[in-house]
Amino acid sequence: MYRYDEFDHQLVGERVKQFRGQVERRVSGELTEDAFKPLRLMNGVYLQLHAYMLRVAIPYGTLSSKQMRMQAHIARKYDRGYGHFTTRQNIQFNWPALDKIPDLLEELATVEMHAIQTSGNCIRNVTSDQYAAAIDGEIEDPRIISEIIRQWSTFHPEFTYLPRKFKIAVTGHDNDRAAIKLHDIGIVIKQNELGDVGYEIHVGGGQGRTPFIAKKMADFVPKAQLLAYLEAVMRVYNMLGRRDNSYKARIKIMVHETGEVEMRRLIEAEFAKIDASQMLAVPQAEIDRISAYFASPEFENLPATSATLDAAQAQDADFARWVRANVVAHKQHGYGIVNISLKPIGGVPGDATDVQMEAVADLAERYSFDEIRVTHEQNLVLPHIRLDDLKTVYDALNAHELATANLGLISDTIACPGLDYCNLANARSIPLAQEISERFADLDQQYDIGELKIKISGCINACGHHHVGHIGILGVDKKGTEFYQISLGGSADENASIGTITGRAFTEETIVDAIETVVTTYTDMRQTDERFIDTYRRVGLDPFKERLYAE
Amino acid sequence: MPNEYQLMKDGALCQDEWIYADEEVGLSDAPSIISLSRLKAEADVLRARNAKLGVQLLADGNGKTKLGEDVQELEPYLDMLSLVSIAFPTYRNGRGFSAARVLREQFNFDGELRASGEVLHDQWAMMRRCGITAFELAPSVSLETFSDAMGELTDAYQPAADDQRGALWQRHK
Ligand code: HEM
Ligand code: SF4
Repeated sequence: MYRYDEFDHQLVGERVKQFRGQVERRVSGELTEDAFKPLRLMNGVYLQLHAYMLRVAIPYGTLSSKQMRMQAHIARKYDRGYGHFTTRQNIQFNWPALDKIPDLLEELATVEMHAIQTSGNCIRNVTSDQYAAAIDGEIEDPRIISEIIRQWSTFHPEFTYLPRKFKIAVTGHDNDRAAIKLHDIGIVIKQNELGDVGYEIHVGGGQGRTPFIAKKMADFVPKAQLLAYLEAVMRVYNMLGRRDNSYKARIKIMVHETGEVEMRRLIEAEFAKIDASQMLAVPQAEIDRISAYFASPEFENLPATSATLDAAQAQDADFARWVRANVVAHKQHGYGIVNISLKPIGGVPGDATDVQMEAVADLAERYSFDEIRVTHEQNLVLPHIRLDDLKTVYDALNAHELATANLGLISDTIACPGLDYCNLANARSIPLAQEISERFADLDQQYDIGELKIKISGCINACGHHHVGHIGILGVDKKGTEFYQISLGGSADENASIGTITGRAFTEETIVDAIETVVTTYTDMRQTDERFIDTYRRVGLDPFKERLYAE
Repeated sequence: MPNEYQLMKDGALCQDEWIYADEEVGLSDAPSIISLSRLKAEADVLRARNAKLGVQLLADGNGKTKLGEDVQELEPYLDMLSLVSIAFPTYRNGRGFSAARVLREQFNFDGELRASGEVLHDQWAMMRRCGITAFELAPSVSLETFSDAMGELTDAYQPAADDQRGALWQRHK
């Protein structure tokens, strides 16, 4: 994992001190809420309906056990005993008191963490693949370049007051788990015919009220030129992006209105000018220094299978089910990637208590080379667990209600806060996620249905990613009553697509039945081993529509 | 155009020798800041004028364009200009940060770059990093407040238009 040097410590420390001054000026009344707003937003502090909320950055979703324990400590000391893992691989605390936030940030800084640039119209926390350095077939650990981007974009003097927020995601694998095509910039690490590593760049993806899949802007940007290329994209956007209407201010709208070809021309012209100075070519010695922090853990030489594991699976059907659903093949023989579902049947997606966080930290320290990952689907990962240890890890997770065996299944829903918490909502999201998971509570049935991603947003802002759900559910408002619109066929992976709306919306009473109808339509039509999304792509919307709207 | 302001230049409060010229009236011999449209229209005459000339780059285009004026348009006139005043219509509009860097780094402009309009406390240091050397500040801002704000962040992660190289480079001098 990356460790701060004096430089990083100094910058973060100075920022905490600066923010303490700003908070003091706000509390004393010297700063009005209006003047304070841009300052607190730069430091991850939002004002919700009733309280301030703090969003802590977890760069590219990687945490050590010490850092996870700090989250538990913060949840206990400054919040109400829990934190919320978000779709941005961050953690959110909902109830810190404003005058205590500088103390909180100071404690965070002791474990090399901060809340910088988790809000505001700046370059946000870089996100990446939760299986980085654990999955087979990766070209390079995406966290190396993510860390370089993190540093380059932190307190960037030119790009901190952009037209709108700006999100960058990186993957080093052909199977995209970072939803890179739904980001302002998505980066795919590639290798060319000469064996050189470089980057394929996608620009202009996003969700919200006008969803777009990003356009591929460059096939291969050589390693040394990446920051120059990124700076070119940012400058073109900062100069020419719209500021007259916040709904049209994201780069996705600029790419759409300008056109892909012209956009590429603008970026390349700026890139040529910036690159000529060589100012942004990171020295190889620095790349090596950062890479060293991400050196592979010292894995043991183990056989590909484990007799201990086989025996435990034979004895314990629940454990076997969990292994089947939540454990993913590791690149190293004898190890597995463990997914910890934060979607217990009937629970709130993404929430974890202080005690649960500490339990995960203990397991990471003992069994996973001290590493934890946060996923954009609001789950956690222990990336390097020996197959021999799986049962022990499972038992410990189970004791803390962290062993739900539903990864990627119908109850592994993303849901936004919705009407229960959010003043923009049309409808409730969390209770609907809970009802759906209860309707399909039988895990064997879920497993039979197979990979199926339901994503729920309470309004068109799409915080719950409904546009890219295999089944997307959107809360709409009709004369003060909650209605739900269904869309099908969305996807956030390497074959990203925006879902298509089925037709008229469903009521609170009929929406869960409608979801069940969609599911049975699929199971009736699927061919052997065909996933929901593949069946949908083969048969199209019509069969689903017929069944949903049959009189 | 300018409201009441005090000029902070190169870290000190000073008398502003410049005036924002009245668009309707012929220019005096005083150092004068004019609009981009006037600069373009009267370039030939202005080139013959024997006094300092500055231009103001508008960020919101006064309704003329959605985006505001394009820094690229200044390129043909740089030899005539001793000052560019970059307007920040609200603190949220950070377009001028890019204009400043383009002027310094791509056009090698070495005259005065000043920020006018609504600029926040913690933007001063960032503006300086982008090559802005003078600030039109509200009269209530003290020199002490300004100096403190400038000193709040001593190092930088990335290069810009100042002489800091950025951590990624500096670690390997
Ligand atoms: C309860 C308070 C919340 C409010 C008022 C809120 C508001 C919004 C708004 C207005 C947008 C649209 C922004 C745009 O299109 O530019 C948005 C987008 C988004 N929000 Fe939220 N949100 C809330 C909570 C959350 C939470 C808890 C999460 C994470 C779990 C989240 C994740 C997102 C994401 C991923 C987007 C999409 C960004 C994109 O377009 O790429 N939001 N939110
Ligand atoms: S999608 Fe709408 S309802 Fe849900 S959190 Fe975002 S703004 Fe609120």
